[in-house]
Amino acid sequence: MAKLNIPPPHGGELVYRVIGKKDYAESMAAGAIEFDLKPTTLPDGTPIRHVYREIMSVCYGFFSPVEGSMTSTDLEGVLKERRLESGWVFPYPILLDASEEDIKAADIKEGDRLLLKLKGEPFAVMDVEEIYKINPEEVAVRTFGTPEDNPEVVREPFNEKHPGYMIYKMMNDHVIAGKWTIVNPPKFREPYDRFWLPPAECRTVIKYVKKWRTCIAHQTRNVPHTGHEALMKNAAYTGDIEPCHGILVNAIIGAKRRGDYPNEAILEGHEAVNKYGYIKPSRHMVTFTLWDMRYGNPIESLLHGVIRQNMGCTHHMFGRDHAAVGEYYDKYATQILWSEGIPSFGFEAPPNEVEKGLKIIPQNMAEFWYCPVCGEIAYSESCGHVDKKQKFSGSFLRGMVAEGVMPPKVVMRPEVYKAIVKWWKVFNYPFVNKKYLENLNANLEVDLAPMEIPKA
Amino acid sequence: MVHYIGVILDESRYEQIKGTPIEEKVQSIFGGTLKMLVVEVPEDKSEQILKAFDRARIDSRGFIEDVPVAFRRAVFEEIVKNKSLDIIDKVLERLPEIQELAKKEDEYIPPPEIE
Ligand SMILES: [Zn+2]
Repeated sequence: MAKLNIPPPHGGELVYRVIGKKDYAESMAAGAIEFDLKPTTLPDGTPIRHVYREIMSVCYGFFSPVEGSMTSTDLEGVLKERRLESGWVFPYPILLDASEEDIKAADIKEGDRLLLKLKGEPFAVMDVEEIYKINPEEVAVRTFGTPEDNPEVVREPFNEKHPGYMIYKMMNDHVIAGKWTIVNPPKFREPYDRFWLPPAECRTVIKYVKKWRTCIAHQTRNVPHTGHEALMKNAAYTGDIEPCHGILVNAIIGAKRRGDYPNEAILEGHEAVNKYGYIKPSRHMVTFTLWDMRYGNPIESLLHGVIRQNMGCTHHMFGRDHAAVGEYYDKYATQILWSEGIPSFGFEAPPNEVEKGLKIIPQNMAEFWYCPVCGEIAYSESCGHVDKKQKFSGSFLRGMVAEGVMPPKVVMRPEVYKAIVKWWKVFNYPFVNKKYLENLNANLEVDLAPMEIPKA
Repeated sequence: MVHYIGVILDESRYEQIKGTPIEEKVQSIFGGTLKMLVVEVPEDKSEQILKAFDRARIDSRGFIEDVPVAFRRAVFEEIVKNKSLDIIDKVLERLPEIQELAKKEDEYIPPPEIE
């Protein structure tokens, strides 16, 4: 096998649409029509998505080659066969949706320049290429698939219990399409700022600081237990002529649900794994991407591939029930996609074997459990003591944490637990509750500096 | 299908059941690092529990998880009181009281004192 190297960004070139220099930013924003960004909410008002996260991920290149809110042609291509108009694979609609009233009130027309405002401050500009109508429910259904149209992997029709489906269903029925440029780069609050490593910088760190030729990505939205740690360590034995040099943990940070661990504990919990030497920092690094998780299992895995290839990873680990909730998809839908393809979603072959597909290499993994006979954390495809297995269960651990019991270190590292307790003391609660949500939804992850825009 | 509730035993809980008939039912997991009692819950009763607590769910091991701490405490209290694991009906009788306590839990759970 030939030695591997950091793959090119998806689409060939990394998108970077951020202007930090005030003069240039002001001149770009001057005279633009102001438009306030709003969260997407459930009928009861609960925020489930904020488009600012997508604007950040697009402009900093996580979603390369996507450069903004999709045109109707791009949207149709993505829904029909997960391809942009340019032919490059892309899984999800990325849309700035707006109500007809808001568009009329601001008198927005194709060709206009908009100044998108976040938390009352200028944030990004966009040149409106197209304004078109969508049927949000149809977009939601086609985004995730149906048992009839996608019989390979869809097991149940999507409904209002699925958080990703609701993100699309609750969108406004007009889309403002056009490329985004950030003109007032937001500042991440502690501790997010320590983990913010956009693709261009991440690639540089991988290449010149960590000096990793190969690197495997680990998707997370959880505080790590030793099952996750075993997955990371063992999946990383893939590589080329030697195991992967690095493990890149990339947490998905976005809308939260009650009972989740706080973002802060997730990031610092993963950091504790390297800080305290369970996987040493020369081999392990923690980062995040802003995205309101859609829980689209195989579809989500494509986005994960795009993000982590753009960040400079050669490999991506995929487990059972990857980015899944409920029983909508086959448990192995992601692994089916990456091992044989899913024709009804536009993949006659795996996404890394189709034209204009991804370059990142999948590492499909089965399960880890504690085996009392082996006396260790065992891999399900190796350990023959199946009837003796003691499964890791995230919710079992959450129960233990809530009762104030420190998990044994064979299940969770004490320093990881301490990261949970540190934020527990800050929020007076170990998990996301109503108060945490109110605070997160009001303040988001960032602050924006005041910015005066000269009138045209 | 039968579901389960796992009751973690720390030192002080273990002391309370030591010497009772329950002691021999203690399961030791994760290489002897954790002690646990497992209460069996018939399906109709697990449904009642899922209905009572909006985030409760059955995990991949068949255990009822993401229930309030107050519920777990009540399960343990009934085990001690009755010296038996056949106590789910007694716990369900206390459901309204547990639900009241659970409401407060959404606001605050005291953090453990560790350094
Ligand atoms: Zn074994």
